[in-house]
Amino acid sequence: MLARVRSLYEKLLEAIAVVLMVGLAAEVTLGVVFRTLGHSLVWYDEVAAITLTWITFYGSALAALRGAHIGVPSLVDAMPRSARLAVTLVAEACVIGFFVLLAWVGFSVLDVLATDFLVSIPEVSVMYTQSVIPIGATLFVIAELLRLPEVVRVAAGNGDDGSKGSAS
Amino acid sequence: MAILLLLLGLLALVLINVPIAVALGIAAVVAMVVSHGADALPNMAIDMYNGANNFPLIAIPLFILAGAIMNTSGISRRLIAFASALLGFVRGGLAMVNVGTAMFFAEISGSAVADVAAIGSVLMPAMKKRGYPGPFTAALTSSAASLAIIIPPSIPMILYAVMADSSVVQLFVAGIIPGVLGGFMMMGVSYWYAVRYNWPVEEAFNLRNLWRAFKEAALAFLLPVIILGGIFGGIVTATEGAGLAVVAAIGVASWYREMNWRQLRTAIVDGVVQTAVVMLLVASSALLGVFLTEAQVPQQLAASIASVTNNPLAVLALLNIFFLVVGLFLHSAAAIILVVPIVMPLVNSVGIDPVHFGLVVTLNLAIGQQTPPVASVLMTACSIAKENIWDVSKANLPFIGVLLAVLMLITYVPAIPLFLVKVFYG
Repeated sequence: MLARVRSLYEKLLEAIAVVLMVGLAAEVTLGVVFRTLGHSLVWYDEVAAITLTWITFYGSALAALRGAHIGVPSLVDAMPRSARLAVTLVAEACVIGFFVLLAWVGFSVLDVLATDFLVSIPEVSVMYTQSVIPIGATLFVIAELLRLPEVVRVAAGNGDDGSKGSAS
Repeated sequence: MAILLLLLGLLALVLINVPIAVALGIAAVVAMVVSHGADALPNMAIDMYNGANNFPLIAIPLFILAGAIMNTSGISRRLIAFASALLGFVRGGLAMVNVGTAMFFAEISGSAVADVAAIGSVLMPAMKKRGYPGPFTAALTSSAASLAIIIPPSIPMILYAVMADSSVVQLFVAGIIPGVLGGFMMMGVSYWYAVRYNWPVEEAFNLRNLWRAFKEAALAFLLPVIILGGIFGGIVTATEGAGLAVVAAIGVASWYREMNWRQLRTAIVDGVVQTAVVMLLVASSALLGVFLTEAQVPQQLAASIASVTNNPLAVLALLNIFFLVVGLFLHSAAAIILVVPIVMPLVNSVGIDPVHFGLVVTLNLAIGQQTPPVASVLMTACSIAKENIWDVSKANLPFIGVLLAVLMLITYVPAIPLFLVKVFYG
């Protein structure tokens, strides 16, 4: 049951990831094409930077679900089993606590930002672009909770999950 | 005192395996609340958003995506075939082909992990079948792949340029000579082994074969010409060049009719995950950065080291040792994001050229990718080759030596990286 929820959730986040990445590539290309033709799009760089921000936070939830965020597991891996389990639970609590706080704070500032608007597209409120913080943080918490059983199982086992991702 | 507690707290969180990005965020939020009260909390959401909202960094997902498309489009196979026709006649031919392909690939890709996967999955089995020892095979592939972050384009250079407020394009230009030099030195080391152990030659040199392989791979060679030519010629910015790379890669893949949509979708999703991992670090380091800047930490560090020595060469020696140690334990993106903003005031105050320093940092991190416990590229090579990390690390010592030699050369002969920059940008 949990495995199915997790797999559906992963599919959802992956779909968002594909849409955002393809959108970003298309947008930057259009920006270059239009500028070369002498009709620069005024909103091009602002929208591209916002898309990157969305990729950051929606993608972070997906990375959390895959356990891909960069950490230093060496010390924890070397601990005896009971200590490893305890420390892992503390670490998970820190991560979940941070993103619960970020979701709450991010949500509460949206009201304040409702009256700010994008520079290049003054019809759009910053509230909508900034919504990625509370939404992304909430998705992150859900991802972390869905992965928690696996994390606990690995910590209680022989301690090598080998799933750390890397970018370069 | 508060700063010391902050750094100790950060260290403690990292050591219990809280992801570094989150550890940074927690440390920064605690520091913020202690110094400004809970009213400062709303800034947390806004600072993290603004930290990620950074136009030059768009180049990172785009270069990752371009590399991913090319990996799924048969380009690596064509590049290997060309390198084989060009270099296969030398003793230890496949080792030469390995380094040669890595050097070509580096001009399209900005990520060493991507390269080691693309090249290694084809060449490492072939090398082992021809009798090359497994650890040597994995070590050579791993070290040659690190040329990807020295030869432009380069994702660590993009990150450095943003963190140090330096020019991406000049960094790219500065990487050309050190990267090519490193590649030739690795070929030299391989040749020495090949003669000593009598490793095989692959094919006799034949101009007609070379020409055919070149035609087969011609579009793949066109890519760096378009991308780097556009960027260096000032026609497009580095970010737009990255967008161009994506379009060109799709074009080439469609031309060759080798695009696999399922693989492409996987590649896009993996690209987003890789980007998000780096960008979340950028976002949360912005949070900590606000605090460190308020507390003037980087300036104090600069002043205290400058009071000991003002000599740029001595400062570079110190920073080299520091970055080599950091590279043992930190992933390259994390090292740049954490360390560069803190040491930049020092670098500027003793008069080191930020582009020169950027190359020094990049070389250090290329070595860091090869040195366990945290060695992203080496680990990838070992897992593809199914070799033991310890054996591969021993076989890798001569190649790490090559990277160290290049590091010493560019550190103390700034003309090597900066010569082309002067030619292009006077």
